[in-house]
Amino acid sequence: MISRNRYVGAVEIGTSKVVALIGQYSRGRSLSLIGLGECPSRGVIKGAVVDYKAASECVHHALEQAERGAGVRLDEVYLAQSGGHLEGFQNEEGVNVSAADSMVSAPDIETVCHLAKTRHLPDGRMVVHHLRRPFRLDGRLLPDPEHHSGRRLEVGYWTVHGQENLIADHIHVIRGYNVRVTELILSSLASGALLTTPDDRRAGALVLDLGAGTTDYVLYREGCAFLTGVLPVGGLHLTNDLSLGLRLNNQDQAEKLKLRHGRGVVATKDRAEKVWLNGDLSVGDRQFPRQTIEQITAARTREIFEVVRQKLGAGFDPERTAAGVILTGGASKLPGLDEAAAQVFGLPVRLGEPPDWVGDDLRAPGFSTALGLLCYGFAAPSDPPPPGRRRSGTGLLGKMFSSLFGFLL
Amino acid sequence: MSITPDSGELPLARDLPAGRPLSLKVIGVGGAGANIVRRLHAENLPGLALAVVDTDQAVLTAADLPDRTLLGAALTRGLGAGGDPALGREAATAEPEKISALVKDCDLVFLVGGMGGGTGAGVTPVLAEAATRAGALVLAFVTLPFSFERGRVAAAEESLRTLRTGCDAVLPLPNDILLQAAAEHENARHAFARADEWIGRAVKSVWAMLSRPGLIPLDLAKLQQAFATRGGRTLFGLGQGAGSTAVADAVASLRLCPLLQSPEFARKADRLLVSILGGPGLTLQDVRTLMDAVAEQFGRDPLVIPGAAMDDAMGDRVEIVVLGTCELGGRRQTPRRASARDRAAAAAGAPEPAPAEAAQNEFAFGTETESRGYFDKTDRNLFEGQDLDIPTYQRKGIKLVL
Repeated sequence: MISRNRYVGAVEIGTSKVVALIGQYSRGRSLSLIGLGECPSRGVIKGAVVDYKAASECVHHALEQAERGAGVRLDEVYLAQSGGHLEGFQNEEGVNVSAADSMVSAPDIETVCHLAKTRHLPDGRMVVHHLRRPFRLDGRLLPDPEHHSGRRLEVGYWTVHGQENLIADHIHVIRGYNVRVTELILSSLASGALLTTPDDRRAGALVLDLGAGTTDYVLYREGCAFLTGVLPVGGLHLTNDLSLGLRLNNQDQAEKLKLRHGRGVVATKDRAEKVWLNGDLSVGDRQFPRQTIEQITAARTREIFEVVRQKLGAGFDPERTAAGVILTGGASKLPGLDEAAAQVFGLPVRLGEPPDWVGDDLRAPGFSTALGLLCYGFAAPSDPPPPGRRRSGTGLLGKMFSSLFGFLL
Repeated sequence: MSITPDSGELPLARDLPAGRPLSLKVIGVGGAGANIVRRLHAENLPGLALAVVDTDQAVLTAADLPDRTLLGAALTRGLGAGGDPALGREAATAEPEKISALVKDCDLVFLVGGMGGGTGAGVTPVLAEAATRAGALVLAFVTLPFSFERGRVAAAEESLRTLRTGCDAVLPLPNDILLQAAAEHENARHAFARADEWIGRAVKSVWAMLSRPGLIPLDLAKLQQAFATRGGRTLFGLGQGAGSTAVADAVASLRLCPLLQSPEFARKADRLLVSILGGPGLTLQDVRTLMDAVAEQFGRDPLVIPGAAMDDAMGDRVEIVVLGTCELGGRRQTPRRASARDRAAAAAGAPEPAPAEAAQNEFAFGTETESRGYFDKTDRNLFEGQDLDIPTYQRKGIKLVL
């Protein structure tokens, strides 16, 4: 924020498409989008890069397109991270307030945060995010406990960790374009940052980003990201289920049927109602019962929600998720999805609506993550420095190092 | 048989005539079956009739049992089926009177055998059909050949399919699991002996439920209930423990049972028969602990049919056996019993209608192997024992109309 204008890049390497965005922050206040690059993805399955070369080409293509459109060159980007290898755990720690007058001091806060973050990870895993939950001082919820008085200061962290080599692959794809990765941000957190307001987060909200290869979710409680997770099941599974269930050899045909007739709940009562595969009277056009298509897609969507609910476990409490469920991601365009989600979670469900500054061309739910990266990167660093301590600002590599050192020491 | 063909009584409500004990019979088919029966014979279980059937005279001579039947002497000259299921089948169908004599007057027939051999694969389905026709509840425990026995695998799968239509439940035991479970230095004989032992214990546990004094006794009707729908997948696992921690050990060993580890068994059962066999010290508390553990493992609130029995010979040991069935997609919702009408028809001398289920099965949807399609070459996507890449409708058994 030293210069007046700052350019920030955001890249999401999705299973179906790569999106690169360039945003311009003017005077650290307003954000405008100046570049967009989009490219159908190759070499990515279930959110993980499996073909380095193919994935690199797509990403570089998208970045180039964005830079050309914006007329600037990027130095660094925020990168969205997803994939089934990401996992999380919670860890809570508490300390007794050290001062004689029971006033919480900065070292107390630092100690308790440090304790809660230090937990040994297995070999080959690295921390992606330490998400801090609100402090509790003798059970009182406090955003910043410093100078409050009490006896016991507690804090919980949700630590997201992933497989080191997969994360490194992800970063290398970007570095191959000679651009640094400022920070890795969980896809769900990015989408959540875009689609929830602080009020939503305080009331409690569940954001579900249904992508092509993965379903990313984040549960907000008490104003903080409380739980996150990735389920390596997404829209492509719907397509695959259809192609197997309807005996279609061609995934493209299945995809077409999904987009045209797929539903999150079975709505067709008439078993005999049929729909055409192409509908153009061409040779090889076939008919399928509409109900069957809906049964296949509804079974899968319901299962996705059920598995998410199961993975959330006891952390999910409908009573404490007053802002309801917010759906986004490319697969959330499926009609009836909200109904299915409402049945499983027992909460009001809405489709995520991006803020007004997002132009018409980017309002589709498939752009939530990339747009969210711009918001998130700017507004809410993933590991808000404990109040009273400044952030070292070493960026990702430093972070990789420090987490590595954390294990060694 | 407790029901005469012309009684016209509803089959599920059959009463046993008072005074006649339940008759249970184990029929070992082929060389593998004979081994298991021999093992059971050594245990001397009262009230459990044992029989051996083979096309090989040498096997029969070696089996030291009174009830031995040689099939297809005219076809094979008593030299065995030579691994050809077709020959085995021919041998069995050529002598229907021998077959029906074998299964006559039985309430519960266990068929044990190997699906890798000619006799096991060929004769077992014929026996199963005959036994069902005679009104018995038929449970088949069969071993499947190692997957490296390539030629045999396809034949075994084929026989398994026919067998499934004829039995109330088929519990396949892939030999591959033996490899997994075998310790490095264990010799082949021990590994095979363990397969025999697994099957032997399952048979024994069902026998014990029905004939030993029980905390929670089991009767034939309940057993029928457990296997009310046929043709689905089955699940089978064992656990045992001894000493002061017997119950905890049994639970732990059930969890580790290699039979329950393969993906086929990872799915949840719809109906589950849990039988617990313990010594005189078995308490209801123990039974409850075991039942809770089973419920936890198989979740999804299946119809659980508990049974618990005591046997003085068990001492401080506890054994738990779970047998379950899963309905696949509502296919073959055929009630297990041939209806009274069929029986009447049979009694009237009308030719026995070919089992309609068999014909339907050819089109059954769930028999195709579970496929992952686009995700075929990716890592398995496991969540709580299910591979999420396999279409949901397949795993949940949703029947599709095309």
